[in-house]
This record gives sequence, structure tokens and C-alpha cells, in this order.
Amino acid sequence: MLGLGIESTAHTFSCAVIEKKGTRSKILSDVRSIYQPPDGQGIHPREASRHHVKNAAIVLSECLQKAKVKVNDLDIISYAAGPGLGPCLRVGAVVARSLAFYYNIPIYPVNHAVGHIELGKMLTGAKKPLLLLVSGGHTMLLVFSLGKWRVFGETLDITIGQLLDQFGRFAGFASPCGKRIEELASKSCNYIALPYVVNGNDVSFSGLLSAAKLEISKGLEDVCFSLQETAFAMIGEATERALAFTREKELLVVGGVASNKRLAEILTSVCKRQDCKFFVCPGYYAGDCGSQISLTGLLESSVKNGVKIEDTFVKQSWRVDSVEIAY
Amino acid sequence: MKKTLIKKGAEADIYLTNWNNEKAIYKKREPKEYRNLILDIKLRKHRTIREAGIMHDVKLFGIHAPLVYFVDTKKTSILMQYIEGNLVKDLPDRKLVKICKEIGRIVGRMHKSGVMHGDLTTSNFIIQKDIIFLIDFGLSSRTRKIEDHAIDLRLFKEVLNSAHTAIMEQGWTNFLQGYKSIVGVARKNQVFSYVSIIEQRGRYATVV
Ligand SMILES: Nc1ncnc2c1ncn2[C@@H]1O[C@H](COP(=O)(O)OP(=O)(O)O)[C@@H](O)[C@H]1O
Ligand SMILES: [Mg+2]
Repeated sequence: MLGLGIESTAHTFSCAVIEKKGTRSKILSDVRSIYQPPDGQGIHPREASRHHVKNAAIVLSECLQKAKVKVNDLDIISYAAGPGLGPCLRVGAVVARSLAFYYNIPIYPVNHAVGHIELGKMLTGAKKPLLLLVSGGHTMLLVFSLGKWRVFGETLDITIGQLLDQFGRFAGFASPCGKRIEELASKSCNYIALPYVVNGNDVSFSGLLSAAKLEISKGLEDVCFSLQETAFAMIGEATERALAFTREKELLVVGGVASNKRLAEILTSVCKRQDCKFFVCPGYYAGDCGSQISLTGLLESSVKNGVKIEDTFVKQSWRVDSVEIAY
Repeated sequence: MKKTLIKKGAEADIYLTNWNNEKAIYKKREPKEYRNLILDIKLRKHRTIREAGIMHDVKLFGIHAPLVYFVDTKKTSILMQYIEGNLVKDLPDRKLVKICKEIGRIVGRMHKSGVMHGDLTTSNFIIQKDIIFLIDFGLSSRTRKIEDHAIDLRLFKEVLNSAHTAIMEQGWTNFLQGYKSIVGVARKNQVFSYVSIIEQRGRYATVV
């Protein structure tokens, strides 16, 4: 089966084609165009959606070309219906609807977070992992139980991605700021004390963000280092608590921040102590991409028919723990 | 002192040992190699002191918790009474549902006395015959704030939902009933509505 996936929840517009044969799936192409806001500024939903509109056709045709398939060959089309920014979500949905309607192809709305999870599982081979989702939109620990991913722990305020981006923008970096912060952090080992807040399985980053901004005059490298050390140690501790409690034997990390080396190092050490296998989604596919959407749609199509065009939707705050997983 | 490692907890290594011919638990917060050293020492020390202090205090409010025998802030370790029994976490569903009411009462009593636990999971309650003991006070603090008490309730709810999914609804209802019976309707409603506020916050965080 051939599935096209369209991702447009935030800064990335991406299309991918995956071929699924039984339980095996292969990514034939994954093409992206990423909206870049001016340095020091955040993502503006309307500007981002304009970028998506402008680039949609180019990304789509390049994706089909690379996969060597025609629209007519596609068995299903999936799009990210949420969670995400309204104007951005609507671009992907419109593209998906038009294709599905014109070519009469079944269409599947997909949850973006579930997409991260499924793609991570497929690429790493993790079977029944505790899941850590770290990105701009999420900071969550999830366990699968009775047909749904259940939240075992999460952030009580902003996400890890928001922490890094908001700090980075304050320092005048270009978004997304994670890479730059990681680079600068690697040049220091001088720890400045910052607020560390773990509540049971949950974390809170807003106090850390304000404090880090106040310390910026003490030297950017030192503050980046201390910010990373504090935030990632908090995530490490929350993860260790979840592993000790659930006794899961696998940990899988997905989402944009999964590509951070220091975070991976911390989680490796956590897993060693808790006697658990560590899986991290490969860098290129950890962040937002069409593959995550395409794969999830294909999995859904094994148990469900597509939805009617008039029933396609976008939902800005579509919680991952509300999605029934039947496959 | 002869001791046997019986558990690697989230935070600490737990050893079974002896103290004056009684079984005892030696809880040691070992350095975490992944954590920055300065941060690590600060957290371990702080939590050891907190834990020993509040574990002692709550007993004065009629809550069952291990006796503290000895605290070593340098080694960040606590020697405490061993509590024979089962973790509430490992109870069969039908028992767990019932016990949620008593847990609600215990948490109510603790909050009423101005303490939040900070790590209210089912692995931190031990049931011995029909007495429930509360352990693991490393994240506890002295506070009467509605927000703080709500964090305790929310965590317990989150644990029911993710680890005891099948009995979540009834367990939570029972917990609230027990809680209400101690703190009163008005206070229970205040704390409960703050739980919803926290949930909304994480839940509908704008995705940027
Ligand atoms: N006083 C005690 N008596 C009996 N068992 C205990 C005692 N203290 C801890 N344990 C056991 O060790 C586990 C971990 O201890 P805990 O204090 O909760 O540490 P952590 O902070 O690492 O979770 C508990 O879940 C329980 O099974
Ligand atoms: Mg514990």
C-alpha cells in the first residue's frame, strides 16, 4: 500500500510517501520546507501558514517525484489534523482534501503526536516502550494501556521546546534555537544555580525560563550550559521515576528535542541504572515530517475506512491521550 | 552494618538492614552521574533533610509513616523503620478501588495539617493488614496553598489514569470522597477546581 502523508502543524510543511507491505514499511520520500521567522522572533501562525501555502505545491511534487509515484498510484492520503496552529493545520488539510476529492482517494486525519510515536517505533524497532515526547508542542511521558497512550507525566506549564526557543529568542538567536543553545552549552562547564522543579512525575519550566533570562549577563555560554543541565536533568529524573514505577524495559524518545546529544547522554545513563533499553528516533526523523503522518495513516487504514470529505477536520488542541488506537 | 539491596527506586537505593534487632530500611540517595555535580549534591541533601523532617512531623497528625532512626546528611542517607506489607500499587483492582477512599482521608489529614507530599503515587503507600503507611517524603513541603495541594491530587489522578486505568473513575471518586470527609466540602471544591485549572494549562498549551 502506498500512503501520502502531509504535515503542517507548525513551522514545517512536509510531504512523504511510505510503502507498507504487511508489517513492513519503507519511506520512499520525505520532503520538507521549514518556515524561518526573523532572528529573535517567534513563529507567527499566519506568516507560517503563508509560507506553507507558497511551498505546498513544490514540496508535494518533489515528494512524488522522489518516490517515483503518481497521485493516481496512492492508496490513501493522510494529513496532520492536530494538535497545532490553526492557520497552519488548515493548509495541510486543504491540500489533502483537494487531492482526495479530485482523485477519489481515501483520506485519514492523523494525530501529530501519535505520528511521532509510530514513526519512532518503526525506525528503532522498540516494541512496548515507555515514551518520552519532547518537542515544541509537547513534553510528556506516555504509557500504552487499554487502547490509548496515557499520560504518566508531563509539563505543568511550558514545553521543553518552548523553554529553549523562548530563551533563545530572548538572547537574539534564530528560531528554532535548540541547536544554537546546544552548541554554546558545549563550550562551558560552569554551572549557575537555576530553579529545578520536579513534582512527582511532572515538571515545570516557567520559573527556570525567567531565572535563566535574568542570568544572561553572566555569560551566554554558562547560562546555556546551566539551562540545559537543569532542564534535561529534570526530564531525566521524571523519566527515571516513570521507569522505576512502570518497570518498562524500553524507553523511546521522539520529537524535535530528541536529537539533542546531551539529553540522549542523560537518558542513556538513566536507562542504565533502571536496566532498560534506550531507543532514540534518528535525528532526521525526530522532528516534524510527513513520514510520521503517512505511516500513522497507513496503520489506521488497516482497521478503519477513511473519513468522508465533509467529516475531515482540524483540531488545534487534539490531545494524544484522547486518540483510540485500534491497530 | 550488614545490608542487602532490595530496590532501586527512582531516586534512591533501598537496602534492608537491622537496627537494634529490628528490621530496618537504609535509604541512600546515591550521586546521579548524569546530573551536574553541584545541582546533584544540593538536591540530594535538601531532599534527605526534608524527607526525614516531614516523615517525623506527619506522625504527629495521625498519619502512619516509618519511624526515623538516623539521618546522615553527608552521606544523604536515612535509616528508618521497615514496614512489612504490600505496595498499594500491586494490589488487585477491586482492593485498590476500596482503598482509594482511605488514601483520600490520609491525604486530607496531611493537607489539613499543612503538608503536601509531592510524589503521591501508589508505590508510595504500603498496606500492612488494614493500616496504610505513607512513605517517600523527599519532595514534600510545608504548605497550605490550594495550588500545592492541587498538585498532589492531580498527580494521584494521573497515576490512576495511566497505571490503574480500569479502575480510574471509581478510584478517583472514592479518593475525593475520603478527601472531602476530612477537609470539608468547601476546601475540597477549591482544591478540585484548581486541579482542573492545572490540567487545562498543560492540555491546551499553545503549540509554538
Ligand atoms: N520503610 C520502608 N519499609 C518497607 N519498604 C520500603 C520502605 N521505604 C521504601 N521501601 C520500598 O522501596 C521503594 C522505594 O522507596 P522510596 O522511599 O519510595 O524511594 P524513591 O524515592 O526512590 O521512590 C518503595 O516503593 C518500597 O517498595
Ligand atoms: Mg517512591
